[in-house]
Amino acid sequence: MGTMEQLTLQLRETAREILESKKAAAVIGWEMGTFWYSTAPAILTRPEETERLVWNEYCLNNLAKYLLDFQNTDEKVAIFARGCDYRGINRLIQDKQIDRDKVLIIGLSCPGMKDDKKARELGQNADIPLAKKCEECTYPDALAYDLWVGEPKEAAKPAKAEAKVFPEVESLEQMTADDKYENFAANYEKCLRCYACRNVCPACSCRECIFGNSSKEWSAKANNLSENMFFALTRALHVAGRCIQCGECERICPVNIPIMLLNKKIIQDIDHLFGPYDAGLDPEDKMPLGSFEFTDPEEFM
Amino acid sequence: MFTVQESEIRDLLNVLNKEYKVFVPAKVGDESKFVPYEDNVEFCWDRNVLLSVKDKFFPQTEPLYKFKTKRQNLEIEPLAPKDEPVLLFGVRSCDLQALNCLDQVFLTKGFVDEFYRTKREQATIVALGCNEAEDTCFCTAMGVDPQKGHGADIQAHWLQGKFALEALTDKGQKIIDTLKSYLKEENLEVPETKGFQLQPDMDGVPEKLKGMFDSDLWTEVARKCLNCGACTYICPTCHCFDMSQDVRGEEGFKYRCWDSCMFEEYTLMAGGHNPRPTKKERVRNRFLHKLCYFPERYNMLLCTGCGRCLSVCPVNLHITSIIDKVKEAN
Amino acid sequence: MSVNEALDQKTPTENLENWQPKILVFACNWCTYAGADLTGLSRLQYPATVRILRVPCSGRVNPQFVIKAFQKGVDAVLVCGCHPGDCHYTTGNYFTRRRFLLMRRLMEYIGMEPERLQASWVSAAEAQKFQQLITEVTEQIRALGPNRKLRDVQWEQWNN
Repeated sequence: MGTMEQLTLQLRETAREILESKKAAAVIGWEMGTFWYSTAPAILTRPEETERLVWNEYCLNNLAKYLLDFQNTDEKVAIFARGCDYRGINRLIQDKQIDRDKVLIIGLSCPGMKDDKKARELGQNADIPLAKKCEECTYPDALAYDLWVGEPKEAAKPAKAEAKVFPEVESLEQMTADDKYENFAANYEKCLRCYACRNVCPACSCRECIFGNSSKEWSAKANNLSENMFFALTRALHVAGRCIQCGECERICPVNIPIMLLNKKIIQDIDHLFGPYDAGLDPEDKMPLGSFEFTDPEEFM
Repeated sequence: MFTVQESEIRDLLNVLNKEYKVFVPAKVGDESKFVPYEDNVEFCWDRNVLLSVKDKFFPQTEPLYKFKTKRQNLEIEPLAPKDEPVLLFGVRSCDLQALNCLDQVFLTKGFVDEFYRTKREQATIVALGCNEAEDTCFCTAMGVDPQKGHGADIQAHWLQGKFALEALTDKGQKIIDTLKSYLKEENLEVPETKGFQLQPDMDGVPEKLKGMFDSDLWTEVARKCLNCGACTYICPTCHCFDMSQDVRGEEGFKYRCWDSCMFEEYTLMAGGHNPRPTKKERVRNRFLHKLCYFPERYNMLLCTGCGRCLSVCPVNLHITSIIDKVKEAN
Repeated sequence: MSVNEALDQKTPTENLENWQPKILVFACNWCTYAGADLTGLSRLQYPATVRILRVPCSGRVNPQFVIKAFQKGVDAVLVCGCHPGDCHYTTGNYFTRRRFLLMRRLMEYIGMEPERLQASWVSAAEAQKFQQLITEVTEQIRALGPNRKLRDVQWEQWNN
């Protein structure tokens, strides 16, 4: 705890310095939320506001998506970034949503955040487990940055993806077709279609989404299982090869749909079909579905 | 006051289930919501359910009528309303107050929504008092009494392993009379609800908001909003809907479905102009509607302090903090 | 039969005896569509279970087209294009290959039978292959029966 409190002070100082010296017009970080187990993204523009910044065990939100709000401004934006934020930022840079030059990345090393829902349930004195998305995290630190806050780290080992296997995906794969479908249907029967998953996702940056545009008649606003599945599958395939595995969609779903089960299946298949790939490590990477090899597996002959 | 042991509540519900379609608060997987009563439901008595009873009266998707076209002719075929008395057992005060809000919208000022009215008239409601508030609860700040459901037919309390029932209307009295053989007359003390942590001060807020349309506050608070519809779809009082149709050949159904003021398309006009183009305007509208416009028109707040939006908002953009900020603003 | 009519079928439970599979074929303009033409010109018979939808390139087939088709009531979708190396646009079908390698696996993962979404390369000269392919897929789908998964049944529900 002690170190996170000290880091909070350093975060504030760094942010204040950036805003005072006008190195960036805004700083994106975290501030306290309403409850002891909650924080919220904070987008600050005035030096005195930087006192609100915090860095604690509940800084769960991925901040990258907020860069989109600065797409049409000329000034630079500073953003605190752990591994997941960093990959989110790269996602946006690679998707040509924002220029690298416009972003001032302040790197952080992340100890893993705690599960806010569990915290609410168990209370302040309990031992709160890590958030699911943090438990599975493979890149806790920003891999490249303009500034760094915290203990200087040893040079990050060059990021190299390894073929991933997700036990929960594998166990689903063992089921019969009808059981799989029943399971999938039960998950998406609940969907409210609030689109929180889409709106929080750094890979969902279309200016116009077919699910927000009923005049295009791809999707009706009607809430029924078929439309909900259409949304789920279309989105999963749309972020295929681009999902940075931050797990935000699943974390914030108001009705707890295990959304990552779809994304993880695709990630796992990409690794095994086209070679290991972790999205958002390097904006210069070739994207699995935006590229090909002549030697790709051939099943359609 | 009439009581029944908690272990015998199923007997009582079984009796009611013969005459009504009974809905009870239940845990379903990770979720909790009102479900049709069956022998194997897992009740959720210790806290309010995640999904309110709003959709029992105002479903997320609801067909309105069928139409057929033949050359110049248009035939409209109304859909027969379901003739089915419903009993909702265990509705919390905040959600009852939310129904009172919806009543204003769908039944008053000369505009009666028949689809809503039919379902509302067919429903009997048993309210359930809250003994303990969750950390997100703030109904008392919104003028709701957590132990007394305004507009219910029967008020129930869950006390000392028993359910205590008290009739509030004649309809409620009749139900209690039919259940007499299961009930014991005794008086239990209804404790004050404990554990409220949030107490936003609403005093003067609706009036103050009238002058705050152009306040910088909205730019500030809206920054973190993702413009998802989680808060509006989980809210027991949000009631905006969109009309649409499902057309096959020369026939079609006109239906309505929930809409959210957080969505870009919500105010998008046919010509492409959008009077609420960014999240600032949308966030402002949502909170002004809840705390200023609605009180102005119907003399009641469009927030009942159920706290659902506090638990689902991905970015902690909480109505309680907005109220605090409005209070502080110059 | 128009595409709309083809897709707008009643609930599969009705008339199961006379039921015929409905198969939507996305055919690339340059190879498979011409191949299908040649099948007809060569008087090679194949089951009338397919509805061919011409696309400029198999790479044009967006996964959402496929899901939409299942929603609207087709029993199987077949994505066809030029053989790798023969794409009119040089590389379009290589992207198709990656996309549908993934999509087929995803659809199987959510419980669709793998036969219901297939892809195959059919050149403009492969009339016989097209005939065989359609015959085979039709037999597979006939064995599986009508598809109910992903189907939009709102209309049927409201009609009752």
